[in-house]
Amino acid sequence: MGVSKHSWKTCLKIILIALVPGLFLTGCWDSDDIEQRATVLGISIDKVDDADGADLAQITGLGNQFPKPKEGLIRLSAQIAVPGRIPLGPQTGGAGVDQNPLWVISVVGYTLDDTIAVLQQEVADRLFFGHLRTIVISEEVAKDGVKRFNDYLRRNPEIRRTAWMVVSKGEAKKFMEVAPKLERVPTLYLSAMVENAVRLGTFPEDFIGLFWTRLQSKGQDTFLPYLELKKEDNIQISGLAYFKDDRMIGRTEPVEIGLFMAVTGEKRGGYEVFVKVPDTDVKVIVRAEHRRTSIIPTLRNGKPHFVIKIHYESTIAEGAVGIDLNNAEIVRKIEEEATKGVIEGTNRLIKKMQDEQSDIFGFGEYFRAKQPAYWNKKIQTKEKWREVYKDLTFDIHCTTKIRRVGTKAK
Amino acid sequence: MEYPREITVIQATTILISTIIGVGLLALPLFAVRTADTGAPLVTLFGIAIASTGLGLITFLGIRHPRKSIILYGEDILGKWLSRVPNIVIILFFAILTGLTSREFGAVVITAILKQTPLEVTVIVMLILAALSTRNDMNVFAYIHNFYVPFILAPALIIVALSLKNANSLYLLPVVGNEPGSYLVGGLTIAALFQGSFIFTMIIPFMRHPRKAFKASIWGMVIAGGLYLLIVIATVAVFGPVEITNLLWPTLELARTTSIPGNILQRLDIVFLSVWVIAVFTTLFSSYMFTVHSISQMAGLRDHKMLSFFILPIVFVIAMIPQNILHLYDVIEIFGRLGLILTVGYPLLLVSVDLVKKKVKKSGSIKA
Amino acid sequence: MSWSTIKRSPKRRSTKLSKQPAATANDNMIPHKLVEELPTDQLGRNLDTTIELLKNLLGKNADFFCRKFQMYGKFNAAIIYFSSIVDKNAINSGIMKPLMYVPVQTDLEKLTVTNVLDFILNEAMFHTEIKKEDSIENIINALLRGETFIFIDGVNSGIQFAVKNIEKRSISQPETEQVILGPREGFIESLQTNIALLRNRLKTADFRVEIMEIGRISKSTTAICYLEGIATDDLVKEVKDRLGKIDIDAILDVGYIEQFIEDNHMSPFPQIQSTERPDKTVGSILEGRVAILVDGSPFSIIAPVVFNQFYQTFEDYSSRFLMGSFVRIARMIALVFSLIFPSLYVSFISFNPELLPTEFAVAVAGGRAGVPFPAVVEVLIIEVAMEILREATVRLPKQVGGALSIVGVLVIGQAAVEAGIASPITVVVIAMTTIGSFATPAYDAAFALRMLRFPIVIMAGFFGLYGVVIGVIFIFNHMLSLKSFGVPYMSPVTPGNFQGLKDVIIRAPFWWMPKRPQMLHSQNSDRLGKTKGESKKGTSNTLDPVMVGNEKWEEDKSSGISTRDNSHSSNNDSN
Repeated sequence: MGVSKHSWKTCLKIILIALVPGLFLTGCWDSDDIEQRATVLGISIDKVDDADGADLAQITGLGNQFPKPKEGLIRLSAQIAVPGRIPLGPQTGGAGVDQNPLWVISVVGYTLDDTIAVLQQEVADRLFFGHLRTIVISEEVAKDGVKRFNDYLRRNPEIRRTAWMVVSKGEAKKFMEVAPKLERVPTLYLSAMVENAVRLGTFPEDFIGLFWTRLQSKGQDTFLPYLELKKEDNIQISGLAYFKDDRMIGRTEPVEIGLFMAVTGEKRGGYEVFVKVPDTDVKVIVRAEHRRTSIIPTLRNGKPHFVIKIHYESTIAEGAVGIDLNNAEIVRKIEEEATKGVIEGTNRLIKKMQDEQSDIFGFGEYFRAKQPAYWNKKIQTKEKWREVYKDLTFDIHCTTKIRRVGTKAK
Repeated sequence: MEYPREITVIQATTILISTIIGVGLLALPLFAVRTADTGAPLVTLFGIAIASTGLGLITFLGIRHPRKSIILYGEDILGKWLSRVPNIVIILFFAILTGLTSREFGAVVITAILKQTPLEVTVIVMLILAALSTRNDMNVFAYIHNFYVPFILAPALIIVALSLKNANSLYLLPVVGNEPGSYLVGGLTIAALFQGSFIFTMIIPFMRHPRKAFKASIWGMVIAGGLYLLIVIATVAVFGPVEITNLLWPTLELARTTSIPGNILQRLDIVFLSVWVIAVFTTLFSSYMFTVHSISQMAGLRDHKMLSFFILPIVFVIAMIPQNILHLYDVIEIFGRLGLILTVGYPLLLVSVDLVKKKVKKSGSIKA
Repeated sequence: MSWSTIKRSPKRRSTKLSKQPAATANDNMIPHKLVEELPTDQLGRNLDTTIELLKNLLGKNADFFCRKFQMYGKFNAAIIYFSSIVDKNAINSGIMKPLMYVPVQTDLEKLTVTNVLDFILNEAMFHTEIKKEDSIENIINALLRGETFIFIDGVNSGIQFAVKNIEKRSISQPETEQVILGPREGFIESLQTNIALLRNRLKTADFRVEIMEIGRISKSTTAICYLEGIATDDLVKEVKDRLGKIDIDAILDVGYIEQFIEDNHMSPFPQIQSTERPDKTVGSILEGRVAILVDGSPFSIIAPVVFNQFYQTFEDYSSRFLMGSFVRIARMIALVFSLIFPSLYVSFISFNPELLPTEFAVAVAGGRAGVPFPAVVEVLIIEVAMEILREATVRLPKQVGGALSIVGVLVIGQAAVEAGIASPITVVVIAMTTIGSFATPAYDAAFALRMLRFPIVIMAGFFGLYGVVIGVIFIFNHMLSLKSFGVPYMSPVTPGNFQGLKDVIIRAPFWWMPKRPQMLHSQNSDRLGKTKGESKKGTSNTLDPVMVGNEKWEEDKSSGISTRDNSHSSNNDSN
């Protein structure tokens, strides 16, 4: 009994041990070296009309058997990094400089995944979206609605939530071909631009994850940066594209972004405005350094009413000829003037948004959170909120304190 | 049978923590938000409370029968033949739980990390690892859990802390939720995630001081439940309840949105997943060990080493049964609820019968 | 040195030779057939017979020396020894001389065959270590060990003198474990010297050195050293039992013993620590461990051992605690790195490049663009090349070795990159890993990690980061199930012990660690006396410039001002 049991056990063990490596012999399935992937750094989506539809390859559809949807066509341009042309370490000059480190390919298709399938058919290596940082959407496409792209972007686990979606003035494809001199990799310039804007205080944090969250929330409408291509291959943030649901309906001016951030309570300030010194003709530039906002939703006569209190901490960035900034009286007057300007500007901005029925400030969320009784009874859906939002009343109080004047003594 | 008793209170606590924190961590906020909107944290608390009563009952029973596991004292209380049925049900349940857990784990891995690897391979690798580890005795079991707990807790806490940068407290209000669904159903679903604590019945007989088991169970529940609560709060605060209903694995997305300041590592979700592998391993290890150990107790075997490999193919087959991931989650929900009947109801039954028996004995002995 | 001569007999025979002659003709430990065929073990009275017998047995050796002489002019005697292993000066002056001249106070007439033996033993000899021996087997054993014998015609015992002298090297800094702040003494091959080094550091009566002989042919003297009252008796007994079960023909190094008494032969991790330093050995003995030394080996092995000892060095303790802690943390990081760095590299490059910062990822892709192999294969090739290089540099003679290692690493690495076999980052990663592996002080533990690197790289090649985690879990589970003489391998991390934890990652100051390691369950577990905190109170700033070289103020008794900050404690007392 003892001996035979022993050898039976060992026999079994040996069989098991021999079988296990067999599992692995079929290969390392996911191994895909970094230089064998086509790393897509940025994509852009443009609208095309059906004239180009003639050369549509039958990659995701087949005539009557797998019919393709008949919505508008889009053109996808992808910026793919070519391994080997973007050097590590300092530029050694010579060969590396002339070659273009990027490859931009355009394809046409009906939906986002459709176009990506077409693109993969044309590229040898497997497309890799893990480093996708910017998605540029042309204004036309944005006005049609971005919902149809969101589905693919969510389902693909490679795509990071910290990527940025931006709206471009004009053709989005141009943004993929731009080559600003500050960065080796152009798309990184684009993403650096919007990310640094957040750090500089000229734009609120709005990566695609937040964009989606705002889109879904019941009491909010969403927004995206609006970029414009300028002459020297440089890009300008030309304002904020505001949305109603998933369609873009308009854009604001850049300065209004600052006012917007004031209302929503973004702490970092960065916008500078001209402020007229009262009783003179001189204008100084006041820069906002820090903001503190509180929004209190209340009910006045059974109707929603907001009290918005904004507090600015500012610096005088540039003085002007003719005034003495050492004078505390003058500084105080400048503060008052700045305050007035803010109140006027925010009033106008909010009213404009109300006319457009786009609640980018998120007032609805405040209501839903802090006045749940009212919300649950009367409102409950996004559409109803928009109607209420149109007639919202609000009070804006603002205070400005100029803390610093730079290093100049006068 | 002489049990070597070495497990201390701290070790018992860590066993509980690492068993509870497992594969359910990823989908938890989704379940919570589905039923209660912004009231997700409250629903989670409610679920924790339900699970705690189950655990409390088990601990109470364990302290009353300090040298026996539930299989054995079930025989004591209900009689040998009557207890066979629930014992077999328990063993089957935990075998199925092991299979489903490993399947869910494999599903996450092949969806989020390794997209081309066949599901069978990921599941088998994990099951083999668990099976090999169950060949050791209970003391090593305790050491393993004790060792890995800091690796599980620390990264989870760090990610939660770092993610709060993007949090918006408005999403957490109102606390009860705008459109609260059924709190009870939500609480039950969440309590089902804590079912791993049932293995505590196996641990108490090996503890050095079984009287102190209550301390272990309280601390284990506080820490594990606390972590789950924190994760729910963090995900709801960062994403908002509506967005979460779009996400299959909100915790994973939370890790994805987080980044270390300075952008040293950009996609923290991979790191998070690697740590989560440890958490799943400990959970699988526990339920596998419980299955094997319980079978060996019911059958009266001395040594459970050979059983580890016999159970492996059965569990693997169970893991492969659900057809796709949606089917998988349906099955998990059903099993979760059934399991609650087992893990809370059966101890309740045992406690009541036990108390009644003792009373009868006492009055019986007084008469005599 | 052929392994084929080793017989592991299933019978467990004890080879313990104590001081009493326990051998009989049935004991077949001595492979000399002639001895077995002797009718008796007792030495005969006839000198010539004895000499004849010994010459038969041992005469073929060129260093066997036998000389007959006349003792005190009237007794026939012979002196026999092996000339290669004795100290001839001692023989000449300590043995032969007194046997030639009778001490002044003795009457030569009174000496007869019957009482001359006692006379020599008690009155005549200058030499101190002498005794009488009459068992032939023991005589032969003793001769082979370097003892000298004097046989007297008519006396049936021989006199044994200990005059062993073997060349040995001088004590020098140990090659494998060098420290900056610490003694420069290392063990040498001679057991006597080694025990001397230990005893010099433990001048207490509790320090015990017990001797055993292991190995049928080599009969190596093995010493078991411990502190009685601090090491548990069970541990000492267990060690002796395990040593007693060793049945092999030769123990050539203490590593042989280690392989026989360790708990788990299949594990890559060592369960017994070996060291060349006496101070480290003494430190372990003081904690309650047992040290084993073998004659002929400059290493001592220490049992039981736990994993965190393998990255501790003596220097951690002899330097201040901040320094020691910092260096220890650096060493731990190097250790972890040496295990998983290449596999992390493989998983980042092949599976999850999204983890790298984008600029870096694109640039790395550039570096790898010309390489024909996938990352796994490349890493494995360079790893294997590195291992071969390492082995080669160990064997090279010193003059060539230094230059060649630098040449090897730099030139071959550079050439490989330029040839396109490897990418530059791979070479950097592997080089850093190798250097990191040198940071682990214990050679055998570092070896374990070196070996384990390969399976983890392969796992990473299959599954990426997931594979690395699975591999690491597997290794940890194995370590957690290891025991060394019963002590769990990962103590004091698991099972947790707060006192022990103070010495794991950082090196807590001495006054925070008042107890010996709890895992060893020592009877006497207090290390520090009661003065733990008071070392601070007692210090007085003797040479503080305020007091020295300064004029003392007159004490102002009426004011209620508190005492001055820098006042010497004795100032207050004198008032």
